[in-house]
Amino acid sequence: MLLKTKQLSKSFGGLKAMNKVDFELPKNEIRGIIGPNGSGKSTFFNLVSGIYDSDPGSYIEFDGHDITFTPPHEIASYGLSRTFQLLRLYQDMTVINNVMSGYHTRVPYKFFDAVIGRKKIWDQERAIKEEMMELLSFVGLADYAELNASELSGGQRRLLVLARAIAMKPKLLMLDEPAAGLSPVNVDNLMKIIMQLKEKYGLTLIIIEHILKVVMDTCNSVTVFDHGQKIAEGNPAQVKDDNAVIEAYLGKKMDDEEMRKALAV
Amino acid sequence: MEKFKSIIRDYPFIAFIIAFVILAFVPSVVFTDVYQSHLATLIFVNIVVAAGLNIVKGYCGQVTVGHVGLFAVGSYTAGTLFLYLGLGFWVTLPIAIIVTAFFGVAMGIPSFRLEGPYLALATLGGGEAIRLFIENGNFFRSTFGISDIPTPSLMGFNFDSPDRYYFISMTVMIIAVYFSFSILRSGVGRAFMSIREDPICAAAAGINVKKYKILAFILSAMFAGAAGAVYAHMPPGYIHPNNYTVIEMVTFLAMVVLGGLGHIWGGIIGAIVITIVYDLTRPLYKYQLLIFGLTIVLTILFMPKGLGGFIDRYFLEKRFKKKTGTEKT
Repeated sequence: MLLKTKQLSKSFGGLKAMNKVDFELPKNEIRGIIGPNGSGKSTFFNLVSGIYDSDPGSYIEFDGHDITFTPPHEIASYGLSRTFQLLRLYQDMTVINNVMSGYHTRVPYKFFDAVIGRKKIWDQERAIKEEMMELLSFVGLADYAELNASELSGGQRRLLVLARAIAMKPKLLMLDEPAAGLSPVNVDNLMKIIMQLKEKYGLTLIIIEHILKVVMDTCNSVTVFDHGQKIAEGNPAQVKDDNAVIEAYLGKKMDDEEMRKALAV
Repeated sequence: MEKFKSIIRDYPFIAFIIAFVILAFVPSVVFTDVYQSHLATLIFVNIVVAAGLNIVKGYCGQVTVGHVGLFAVGSYTAGTLFLYLGLGFWVTLPIAIIVTAFFGVAMGIPSFRLEGPYLALATLGGGEAIRLFIENGNFFRSTFGISDIPTPSLMGFNFDSPDRYYFISMTVMIIAVYFSFSILRSGVGRAFMSIREDPICAAAAGINVKKYKILAFILSAMFAGAAGAVYAHMPPGYIHPNNYTVIEMVTFLAMVVLGGLGHIWGGIIGAIVITIVYDLTRPLYKYQLLIFGLTIVLTILFMPKGLGGFIDRYFLEKRFKKKTGTEKT
């Protein structure tokens, strides 16, 4: 198992944002996470990536490390990368610097070498830049490398965030609504790029997405959250027909008798 | 030319050695009187402070208004070491840098919790506290200031006049700028920038936010300490608490803002311009604060990236046009 949680809980005051979730994710899987707004999908991401501290009694394991109370930067150094729903782009940095800052955990030299400014540093920096330029041209942003990130369009920003998350060569990539606000053509394009990146880097993916078509088409398995609880899990076809899921999204499924009664009023 | 460029790219310090040689000939070729050397020394001191301030404010995005306090710590470490132990420049400079680094840690700790204007208030308090502490103790000779701090001498040669001290301040400046240049060009500079832009995302990308924040404060404090020591030993070797007030802080801030926050040469450009303007407007001393306040406001309004960013932008747009053949929208 690459990622495993046991009894994962988080409460904000009286609100149980995440309530005793057991979650397991094997390597090389593409897992979709769906659920209505406020069901705890993003909270799950924040707990796993260490942005929030989980409540006592929770347990999170990633790639053999216990990361329950580990600070986020250490979790990232184990190879867990994530994107944010609100992108959190480094607006005032150039596109190439955005991507290169994602490389941070892999920077090979020590601080002291950087202060002295040894030749080794500049060689390595150039190698990093070349590698990141390759990544940028892979997602199609190479022409914009020197521009500020704030000058990109919405779709390009999504691609940049993706490239930045990939830059650290993660084992697990968690995407929080990667396609939100994109037109259908761009969604297809983005999903194609994500799949190519998965093949290229051997990633395991968790995708939160509201566009169900994307989830059903690309994911091997789907987990459904509602009110901070896991209500269903399985392959896309199973989950689609699951009563609890339909209830969470649309309300209770009624048979004909119940329907007649309800309408008769 | 191409070969020369690639050599510079591999060994940037060669460019700094060239700059050193050029600057070394400036006094004998350009300057007409001693006062200009004195002014040049002031510029160099300000460059060192501004380069340090650019690390913590421009790159790491931590709004500190107490930097002048750190500058004072550097000066007074050098001053008191001379006063009580009779130590000279070559000893006081490194000690001043180390002591100021510790004060930098103290100044940086509030940044774990506070942001933006609140951090500015906390650091303002820190800076003022340092000044008041110096001002109210006879230990620091606050009433008359510490005077006759000796100029350094090297192998029998004494740098005892402004046109000789020029070489000391220039050397310190070149070394400091070289360090700031290599730090900011490396991954450390990128980590600083990520923290400025978005600390949460930076943490998720594997950057230890607390460590890098405190590192930025320590580095910039070391710059301020070095500048303070050089300032203290500058002929005529006199320091007084009145030289470390909020007014000085505003000029330091004006330097960094005008030069370009987060631009690698930002503090340096700003320090040169502001120091010269400061000197030219000396007859209008009543309005100086007004002038620098206005400079900060107008720069932020009309040139948010300062002179450095303005120049960069010009070349960037030229390159972009050449590459894609289109205007950027």
